[in-house]
Amino acid sequence: MTTIRRFCCNDLLRFTSVNLDHLTETFNMSFYMTYLARWPDYFHVAQAPGNRIMGYIMGKVEGQGESWHGHVTAVTVSPEYRRQQLAKKLMNLLEDISDKIDKAYFVDLFVRASNIPAIKMYEKLGYVIYRRVLRYYSGEEDGLDMRKALSRDVEKKSIIPLKRPVTPDELEYD
Amino acid sequence: MASKFGLAGGIPERRVRPIWDAVDSRQFKNALKLCTSLLSKYPNSPYALALKALVLERMGKAEEALSVCLNAKEQLYTNDSVLIDDLTLSTLQIVFQRLNHLDMATSCYEYACGKFPNNLELMMGLFNCYVREYSFVKQQQIAIKMYKLVGEERFLLWAVCSIQLQVFCGNGGEKLLLLAEGLLKKHIASHSLHEPEALIVYISLLEQQSKFGDALEILTGKLGSLIMIEVDRLRLQGRLLARAGDYTAAADIFQKVLELCPDDWEYFLNYLGCLLDDGSTLCMGNDGNPLYPPTHVGCKNFHLSDEVFDSHISRASTFVEKLLAECNNASIRSPFLANLEIQKRKLIYGKGDAGQLIEGLILYFSRFGHMACFTSDVETFLLVLDDHNKSEFLEKLKGCEPTRSSPTMAVGQSITTFKIENLIGNMFTLPLCDLESLAIQMADLYCKSLPLSKDLDIQENMHGEELLSMVSNVLVQIFWRTRNIGYLLESIMILEFGLTIRRYIWQYKILLLHLYSYWNSLPVAYDWYKSLDAKNILLETVSHHILPQMLVSPLWSDLNDLLNDYLKFMDDHFKESADLTFLAYRHRNFSKVIEFVQFKERLQRSSQYLVAKIETPLLQLKQNADSIQEEECILESLKNGNHFIELSNEIGNKSLTFNEDIQLRPWWTPTYDKNYLLGPFEGVSYYPAENLIKQAEANVLKNIEKRSLLPRMIYLSIHCASSSLKEHTEANGSAFDPKLSLELKVLLERYARILGFPFLDAIELVLGVPSGQKPSEALSSDLIDWMNFVVFLNAWNLSSHELGFSNNDTSRLSTWHLVNSLLKKFIFEKVRSTGPLVSSPGGDFPMLVQLVTEPLSWHSLIMQSCVRSFLPSGKKKKKGGVTEQINSYHSHDIQDSIQSLCHTIKEVTEWLIEQINKSDDADFETIFSLLQMNGESQGPGRIFHTLENMVSSVNNVDLGDRISQALQSWNAADIARKLVAGQRSSLSQFLRICESKVKSLQALKMHL
Repeated sequence: MTTIRRFCCNDLLRFTSVNLDHLTETFNMSFYMTYLARWPDYFHVAQAPGNRIMGYIMGKVEGQGESWHGHVTAVTVSPEYRRQQLAKKLMNLLEDISDKIDKAYFVDLFVRASNIPAIKMYEKLGYVIYRRVLRYYSGEEDGLDMRKALSRDVEKKSIIPLKRPVTPDELEYD
Repeated sequence: MASKFGLAGGIPERRVRPIWDAVDSRQFKNALKLCTSLLSKYPNSPYALALKALVLERMGKAEEALSVCLNAKEQLYTNDSVLIDDLTLSTLQIVFQRLNHLDMATSCYEYACGKFPNNLELMMGLFNCYVREYSFVKQQQIAIKMYKLVGEERFLLWAVCSIQLQVFCGNGGEKLLLLAEGLLKKHIASHSLHEPEALIVYISLLEQQSKFGDALEILTGKLGSLIMIEVDRLRLQGRLLARAGDYTAAADIFQKVLELCPDDWEYFLNYLGCLLDDGSTLCMGNDGNPLYPPTHVGCKNFHLSDEVFDSHISRASTFVEKLLAECNNASIRSPFLANLEIQKRKLIYGKGDAGQLIEGLILYFSRFGHMACFTSDVETFLLVLDDHNKSEFLEKLKGCEPTRSSPTMAVGQSITTFKIENLIGNMFTLPLCDLESLAIQMADLYCKSLPLSKDLDIQENMHGEELLSMVSNVLVQIFWRTRNIGYLLESIMILEFGLTIRRYIWQYKILLLHLYSYWNSLPVAYDWYKSLDAKNILLETVSHHILPQMLVSPLWSDLNDLLNDYLKFMDDHFKESADLTFLAYRHRNFSKVIEFVQFKERLQRSSQYLVAKIETPLLQLKQNADSIQEEECILESLKNGNHFIELSNEIGNKSLTFNEDIQLRPWWTPTYDKNYLLGPFEGVSYYPAENLIKQAEANVLKNIEKRSLLPRMIYLSIHCASSSLKEHTEANGSAFDPKLSLELKVLLERYARILGFPFLDAIELVLGVPSGQKPSEALSSDLIDWMNFVVFLNAWNLSSHELGFSNNDTSRLSTWHLVNSLLKKFIFEKVRSTGPLVSSPGGDFPMLVQLVTEPLSWHSLIMQSCVRSFLPSGKKKKKGGVTEQINSYHSHDIQDSIQSLCHTIKEVTEWLIEQINKSDDADFETIFSLLQMNGESQGPGRIFHTLENMVSSVNNVDLGDRISQALQSWNAADIARKLVAGQRSSLSQFLRICESKVKSLQALKMHL
């Protein structure tokens, strides 16, 4: 029921029912298009019959040395298609590409510290809280930096939690 | 190169860095100071000048910035000793681009490349300039030069993409593709290919030339390994085979895809399609496809022999059985659905059994019926069932015992049953009492579901949210049938109630904004629209929910915001799009290059964009119509409307795009120009929706073509009117050009043609209405357009006197009188038919607003123009009273017209004041009392009160704190008051517009 394929510009015109959800941010055009122009393999959409968009994931790969990692920028699923593990499928896809094609060490993501349902879901998918980022969201709410080690990080060094929280200025990457 | 030595544009880095830092931190004054000091040391440095220009531009000093840029350019061209590097040029480029002088940036780079012919960095900069200008041929040329210089694969691909762009977005012939293919072939022979994206481009190039065999050979050869994900390679291979017509081989490949991805529905359809010799489901690339392709019913594969059909279907069935046996993931639905698709195809072929399909659907229901997407999953299968079979399916569905043990799943199944009932259109045939009891059942289920959501976060969707949308929709239908507005109010109450419990449900908000719009409480509708927080690209897809209503409303300031925000978004994108395309080039994601350019073109051809482009100046013209001077300034800024004439001319040749997501609209207004509630109840058939959409699109095109003539017609009318009184001398003393009158005639002819009439017939029609020779209904379907026509016709006749009677022929009415009488007639009619807003939803209020703000306003402009030409122009005509100079006939006509218009508009203001002065409480009581049941068991209010009672009867512990607390703030009376207040606000804004017109007309009278 789910065709997962690369996201294309026309999908921007079709993701309305996903993006009207108040938790899903509609970014400006250059944001989406920068991701498409630079990391098209990290931007996928899941589609149901009749071209209905079920959800999508956008991300990137960046970093130096052992910090070379995949990053999940946004993952979202339309209410109609929730509770059927679609987010998991999309996450697995991004992890797979980070692991097998780009040979990254880990995948990370940021989540609002208050978003308990999301944190639980990421934990189920194998992510651990690596560190807390103080006032990451609009200078107000803390964010959690969650990570999952990939096969290249044999000793799982990348996910050993930091003991102290960091501030947004200390982040290596946004 | 310069920065290697710590130099930037020939200046030590340490001197430049503080300037950039200041710019980045927006301390422009400081940055300017630093620039000045830098320039004192390096007065002729183009880089220092470019920096200064950059700062000036950021400070908003565009002219100064341009002059500094030109100075820098001059230095580059003339001063042999200055350093020319990419840093300097790219800085200049930034400023030139922001000043809308892309061409100058390009010529700087062209000059530099000429001077240093083999500098790769400069050539890349030049390529970038051409990308920004969409000069595909020049892009190609410079890319080839770079390729020849360094032999890198990426530059060859830049050239290939530039060639593809010439073919798909320019006017290059398809033969060019052959050239691109040749270049690639040659390169591959000597260097092979190294980038996956390069391979994808190569294959697309072959596919575009229908060389599927060649493409397959490449893909299955050594280069194929560049595509690292196996299933992606197989998908591509299958598609190429199918396009080559080798359906058997394609089906084999698609089978492999499904073995790897059993849930891939699109590829199951491709698989089945190929087995049945039908490649029509295959996606031929994303561009050019409609956003919402017609629901695919499946081809009638009658050309297959029975044996072949049977054996292929049986192969598909066996394969699906295998997938099902292997399927151990509870959320994989595709193989189950595949069985239904096979049944469907058999039915279409004439070998199926509807009973089996229904059985299959019931089985699917027992497994997935609790999922919110069940209904949309099975929609396509219901299309092949006739009404009888659909009803049978529904009955069976209703007879199903909940198969799910978990309460949430059981609720999900019940909801699905209601949704299916809705989908098959059954509700339109139910008797009213059944319909009501259905709504009660839904409300009941909603209440029962509430405790299931008690522990959910407010951010999470609650169980059963869809139920209230459905209840509200049923109530709208009951309203449509009974015309009892109590049901309409009830429908609003249900949704508002739901939003009190959880405020994030956008589906309710969309329904509400349409209901409030329909009830002329547009400010409230607009508030709900704003709460959707539609921004960026959603402006393109979501604005249609509110924009059409706003365009015909008196809420000018809100409309202005809406239009400006939208246009700003679109125009900003057009500005930045090329830079993003270049980013794709740089990162070697070549397939995105063409996609980006095509997407930009798609947005440029957006019908909504064109509507906004034309309605924005029309709004300005409406807003300023009480002052001819201001109106003329606006017309001047619009190049006297000429640009819009060009736009109108192009409409026929342009294939416009319709990007609105209309699937989210309520059932009763499925497209922006259709509202079932305005007509009598007749039931709704949901299929085929495509016809409605096509009709709506055709109407939009016609409308854009028509509306874009208006600014020019207004301009010409003003000039024709004044010429009639001043012996071919205009107000400013210049001679009147008779061509203007001729042009107005041509435009009137065209306008009439758009309305479906030859010019003379149109004239005959409008002349016949006041005398009763023609029925006024003949004008009513396009009333505003016809009235605009009449207004401009009068202006044209003033200068041409071509109509069969002259204005001094007292035996017949003049065209002045024609306009006055028609305006009076229709405006009076609309005042009467609009009625009190509170008790007459729908209604003619928007029409009344348009009559006053468009034809009446343009007519008053024509009068202003006439009166102005009576007045002495300049000091030389001081002698002699004004009245002595004027033609008495005209004076009489104009005085009469002013009188008549004043009278007409006063009728409107009096009506408005009467409406506004009625007590709020009275209006509130009028509608709120509709929901008081007064002991009756039928009628509006029943469902809503049942819902209220049921919810309040649920124990607070069961509801949880959040829901209980939210319910405490609920007050139905507040909602009724909000509705009334919204209507009042609309009326008041319209009153202000009318009063300003009265004032302006009275002032005009003083001049005579």
